[in-house]
Amino acid sequence: MTSTQAISRRVLLPAIGVAMVLAIWEATVVFYKLPAIVLPSPFAVVATLVDLVQTSAFWRDVGVSLYEFVVGYAIGVALGVAVGMLVGERPMFRMAATPVIESLRFIVPFAWIPLTILWFGTSYAGKIALVAYAVFFVMVVSTARAIAQVEPTLSRVGTMLGMGPWRLAWKVHLRAAAPMLASAARAAAAIGWIAVVAAEYIGASAGLGLMITNAATSLTTSVVIAGMIVIGVVGAGVSALIGAASRAWLDYR
Amino acid sequence: MSTNLESLATLARSPHATTGTSRAHEGELVVENVFHRYVFAGRDTEVLHDVSFRIAAGQVACVVGPSGCGKSTLLGLAAGLLRPSAGTVRWDGTPVRLGPNPHLGMAFQQPGLFPWMSVRKNVAIGLRTRGYDRREARRIADEFLDTVGLHDFKDAYPRHLSGGMAQRVGIARALALKPRLLLLDEPFAAVDAFTRLKLQQEFKSLLALSRPTVLFVTHDVPEAIALGDLIVVMSKRPASVQTIIPVAREERDRASPAYARKLAETLACLGVTSDMT
Amino acid sequence: MATPAIAAHAPPRLSLRALRVVLGVAGVVVAIGVWWLLSRLLAHGGGVINRLPPPLAVFYELVHYARGDLWRDLVFSLRVFAIGWGVGVVLATVTGLVLGRSQLLGDIFLPIVEAIRPVSSIVWVPLSIVWFGFGLTSKVFLVGLAVYLVVIVYAIDGSRRVPPDLERTATMLGMNEWQRFVSLVLPGTLTEVLIGSRVALMAGWGTVIVAELVAADSGLGAHLIGVEQSYDVPAVMAAMICFGLAGFVMNAAFSFVERRLTPWRHDHATETS
Ligand SMILES: Nc1ncnc2c1ncn2[C@@H]1O[C@H](COP(=O)(O)OP(=O)(O)O)[C@@H](O)[C@H]1O
Ligand SMILES: [Mg+2]
Repeated sequence: MTSTQAISRRVLLPAIGVAMVLAIWEATVVFYKLPAIVLPSPFAVVATLVDLVQTSAFWRDVGVSLYEFVVGYAIGVALGVAVGMLVGERPMFRMAATPVIESLRFIVPFAWIPLTILWFGTSYAGKIALVAYAVFFVMVVSTARAIAQVEPTLSRVGTMLGMGPWRLAWKVHLRAAAPMLASAARAAAAIGWIAVVAAEYIGASAGLGLMITNAATSLTTSVVIAGMIVIGVVGAGVSALIGAASRAWLDYR
Repeated sequence: MSTNLESLATLARSPHATTGTSRAHEGELVVENVFHRYVFAGRDTEVLHDVSFRIAAGQVACVVGPSGCGKSTLLGLAAGLLRPSAGTVRWDGTPVRLGPNPHLGMAFQQPGLFPWMSVRKNVAIGLRTRGYDRREARRIADEFLDTVGLHDFKDAYPRHLSGGMAQRVGIARALALKPRLLLLDEPFAAVDAFTRLKLQQEFKSLLALSRPTVLFVTHDVPEAIALGDLIVVMSKRPASVQTIIPVAREERDRASPAYARKLAETLACLGVTSDMT
Repeated sequence: MATPAIAAHAPPRLSLRALRVVLGVAGVVVAIGVWWLLSRLLAHGGGVINRLPPPLAVFYELVHYARGDLWRDLVFSLRVFAIGWGVGVVLATVTGLVLGRSQLLGDIFLPIVEAIRPVSSIVWVPLSIVWFGFGLTSKVFLVGLAVYLVVIVYAIDGSRRVPPDLERTATMLGMNEWQRFVSLVLPGTLTEVLIGSRVALMAGWGTVIVAELVAADSGLGAHLIGVEQSYDVPAVMAAMICFGLAGFVMNAAFSFVERRLTPWRHDHATETS
């Protein structure tokens, strides 16, 4: 493939696609004379977005959602990797824990939202617990699986070099499992971020989820769409950040 | 057979281990009626069936036998990585403990390098776990990497190495620990024939320096004769010791008729007749 | 001579499975025991978690719900789910085939799909309510979207993965475009779609929960919000268990069907741990 062809495939055609979608969107709004309540024009959404980022309330919502996410995520990853390592390293523990973990795993995090509201009210703690729960299960299952797949020779080498079981688990197994953990951490971040948003729909005093449900209730649809874009961008940013961090960590590959 | 062993033991050349108030069994590896079976996914495979032999301090024993007969398993038992199903493996007169053993250095059949560490760190890490400080560990690692001819690859990651180079790192890692018991599992298998001869030379001179007790698995009978004080010939699985062949110094000279006789003798034990010219 | 010694040292074979069962049961018992203990300790605590009922209370509530409205609610939720799932799978298959087989359309629209895909359907909940209200339509839209976003990847993948040797065979046999499509492209795509549809089960079911929690007019989620608003913790936990059980049953049933339909395929995703 020549480079002009490559440019046309990677840049030109996708640009045409985006332009087409926007044009159809705008044309629909104009042609059917849709009120902004139903569907604002793309320009209105952009204008709303520009207005939004100049308000402090918006940044407060972003900050609250991110705070809930980051704290919950950190707790969930730490606990999930720790328990996942126990499950992966200790067959007895694995046999005892598997049924409990498997049955809890089927209660998707969203189903916990009402309970977290009863327990924690609309405070941050409820969302943090929810994110931690969601992230925890992703990390437990992936960590245990990754540890089980570590090349057995590496364990033998570690023992030969004088490492006891703790050191072996920490220095060899965890490190060898790192590539799988990194991709799990990324998947867990996506799930955790959505859990925050969903929890904020149902009971929150601040946050992006609350912002767009409030906008939906007051029928300011352009704010709803702008908020969706922001949620998507933040989610993508978090994912990219974790991806970059793990690449830096895994530079030997 | 056992008389051979005893005479070899008394013949042992100035064993370093017997300095000072020596215990009788210091530096001696004894495999005593060892059985081993793997139980995996409901299948039960007997691999070793009543294996016994003894290596005196400072001696090199080469293990040869058909592939899959349990040579690597035997090394795992001697290293304390596996527990025998029955029987005992003794080092220094006491049964080998399961788990890390500080007297030990081992090079594995798959090199087993840590992919996230540079070559140098792969060699130094064992020294670090055994209490050397960072600088000293690094210096020793460099020294042994030079010995195996990898001075240009110290900062490379394992994925940049060929199979033979990775195996040499594995050997350097085992030697750098300056072990009293050295276990090598087909260490030169992935190395080209020319480098292999050079490494054998290097290896011999390194052994002459510290005189560890060595258990050396190889497929290569000439190599076994060149390096071993005795050759342990294993039978097919479930394996037991078929013969133990002592190797005298003059039999190592590849130009001598004694060498040719030894080669024919050993190959005959492995079921290869020598009239195939 | 050492044969008896071997027998003594050989690991007893049957016990591994038995050990797994015993330990698994022990794990569940311990978990429920800890729950019970916590509920005792926190019963008069007055801290944040002073609303943890004992396991038995939740069990009674579960029985009570199962004798009452559970089946009505479950049917509502499952209907939303089934319609949305079906619509999502069909649309994803069709667009996947088009975008996967047409290079031009793929180049134009795939980047857009890729950009939207990571944004979960959950984010669309408020907009969907603005557009379609609180009824069935908005929930079907959300579930369909969730399923669509998962399955489309599998459909595109499957539509592009025709083995080259089969392609050559087809040329040799003189197949026309349509025959080629029906006998080569479609089976491969449908196989992948089948896998995607099961992966999409949990995404779709999770979306049902959120949609019903937010637009609470009927179904398990509406019940869950109802009991939550009357501070009935045992009922909330019973409803959660119902959600989990329903998800489990759907997953198991679909795995079974999938294995029946594609016996040649060893699907690793079926394993859960
Ligand atoms: N961890 C294991 N589980 C089950 N069987 C094994 C395991 N390791 C080795 N074996 C089996 O034991 C036999 C001997 O293996 P090994 O000691 O590696 O032989 P060798 O090194 O002589 O080629 C082989 O048949 C092999 O398949
Ligand atoms: Mg081997």
